[in-house]
Amino acid sequence: MKILILGAGAVGGYWGARLTQAGIDTTFLLREKRAGKVRAEGLVVKSPKGDAVVPVKVVTKGSEGGPYDVIVLACKAYDLDSAMESIAPAVGPDTVIVPMLNGHAHFAALDGRFGAAHVAGGLARISGMLGPNGEILHSGASGVSFGERDGKPARPSLVELDAACRKAGIDGGLNDNINQDLWDKWIMLSTIAGMCASMRGTIGDIMESEDGAAIVAETLEESRKVAVAEGQPPSDKVVANLKSMLTAKDSKAVASILGDMEKGGAAEGKQIVGDMLVRARKHGIAAPNLRYAYAHLQTYEARRARGALK
Amino acid sequence: MKILILGAGAIGGYVGGRLHQSGADVTFLVRAARHEALQRDGLVIKSTKGDVTQKVKTVTNGGPNGSIGGGPYDVVLLTCKAYDLDSAMDAIAPAVGAGTTIVPLLNGMRHLEALDARFGADKVVGGLARVGVAMDGQGHILHTSPFAVISFGERDGTAARAALTELDAAIKASGVDGGLNANIVQDLWDKWIMLCTLAATCCLMRGSSGDVLEADEGLAIVLETVEEGRMVGAAAGHDPGEKGLKTIRSFLTVKGSKFTASMLHDLEKGAMVEADHIVGDMIARARKAGIATPNLRLAYANLQVYLAKRARKLAK
Repeated sequence: MKILILGAGAVGGYWGARLTQAGIDTTFLLREKRAGKVRAEGLVVKSPKGDAVVPVKVVTKGSEGGPYDVIVLACKAYDLDSAMESIAPAVGPDTVIVPMLNGHAHFAALDGRFGAAHVAGGLARISGMLGPNGEILHSGASGVSFGERDGKPARPSLVELDAACRKAGIDGGLNDNINQDLWDKWIMLSTIAGMCASMRGTIGDIMESEDGAAIVAETLEESRKVAVAEGQPPSDKVVANLKSMLTAKDSKAVASILGDMEKGGAAEGKQIVGDMLVRARKHGIAAPNLRYAYAHLQTYEARRARGALK
Repeated sequence: MKILILGAGAIGGYVGGRLHQSGADVTFLVRAARHEALQRDGLVIKSTKGDVTQKVKTVTNGGPNGSIGGGPYDVVLLTCKAYDLDSAMDAIAPAVGAGTTIVPLLNGMRHLEALDARFGADKVVGGLARVGVAMDGQGHILHTSPFAVISFGERDGTAARAALTELDAAIKASGVDGGLNANIVQDLWDKWIMLCTLAATCCLMRGSSGDVLEADEGLAIVLETVEEGRMVGAAAGHDPGEKGLKTIRSFLTVKGSKFTASMLHDLEKGAMVEADHIVGDMIARARKAGIATPNLRLAYANLQVYLAKRARKLAK
């Protein structure tokens, strides 16, 4: 089985490095700059599960080295269009695309471009970030999960990917409930990203304001209602767990989007918060807190565009 | 007439400097370090209306029996930040005599209640400033707006007391615009509603009013927030009315505007902000009157998060 991974950030880089170490035929599709560095230095992984410098196969064009059985998309949601352009030549008749993006908006785009039969569901629980020299700073969880979006038995290439993950020490693997898990993760993300970005603090910081806990709980409820209306209601247990996690006093939990904003970088506001708001509107669900959070994110983008961030 | 100005910061320094320049009897009540700097370098104003450097009279408190030199004063101009009001009241107390009028130039309304309780409502009039002015690191007063207006008047709308009439003449002689204002309380409300909306939305969204208007719902959020303030004003008997609202909205809805709340500048410098006075007090009044203020609630939460983080940072 040949695997192509687009992106060598925390998720794609960690996953692909471990696969390569386990002897799985893995290739990275990278932009020129990142490709040159990774070719020269290998992927540098710093991880509680063991540090490593892993020489990996790198291409800069989707037309090289294919066809691939599995293509993992490990880019940011706002880079989806260019990512689709890049992988297009690598997609053969039997290729399955496993997107590891947040939110749900990417599915319509991928289905439209490559056909729904080529697109599985995937989600990452790999915590980490890129260090200043492009090294992968892995900090804890190392799970990925993927599966057929319609809940049917997995196609052979996903079964093979599952076996490869086990061999590589990556947790998770095949998931026959991927669509619900994606929704559960999204309602969590829309809440934590919307709140941490727009309140400019960690969950614990937000809890220090008088109405912070109420505002976060309301925001979670807005997203929960959207999931229900979309036919993906989270279980009561999931909601209870999210609520206690997102309203925990002194919590250091924070959305990575806030880190992106504090660095003046691009933020996935549209995909994580904006799209949830669009769906709320579609179903006639009042979502005042998501609306405010998205206005905050759009204001950030406007200010960033005019080069006036502080 | 003897005028005492608390602080020689941006507004106090500018207005006091112009009054002094035109021959009014002005004394600045300042801290020891500022006293020394002003005695050494003079008060430096760099202004769209002309630069000036001049010697000014300064006093520091803590004279014999806590007295303040040069008193009693007929008028005390209070130009501190709202969060410094308690220490400002302590500072001016020895300068307030039986015939003194206190003219506060703070934003919002809550300070008036505090001043009334401390000094008696009869000593306290309404006042407001509209001056684009800041102080730089050297203590120079940088006046950048084409306008500089202060106005003041009796809060009950009765004819102005003699001290205010005299202050009006002094202000007119100084080249600062404004002066006596028979409608000061409504003007304070109108300005507060505008400022509360500007501060709430700019801080909530972390951008200039033009940046906020770039968001799909930015304009709607701004207009709703104005309406929240209007309802609070109306409940207090001070609805700005259509004309007032038109003026308020005209400040806040200019596409591409770089107009930004000074609260956001303070926040981005990591400084103290007038969150409780400008936003929190509007919410408190809304609650008392049973008015829902969802946008101000979010803005206040945002500001409280900032203040909590700031307090933690300072504690380190």
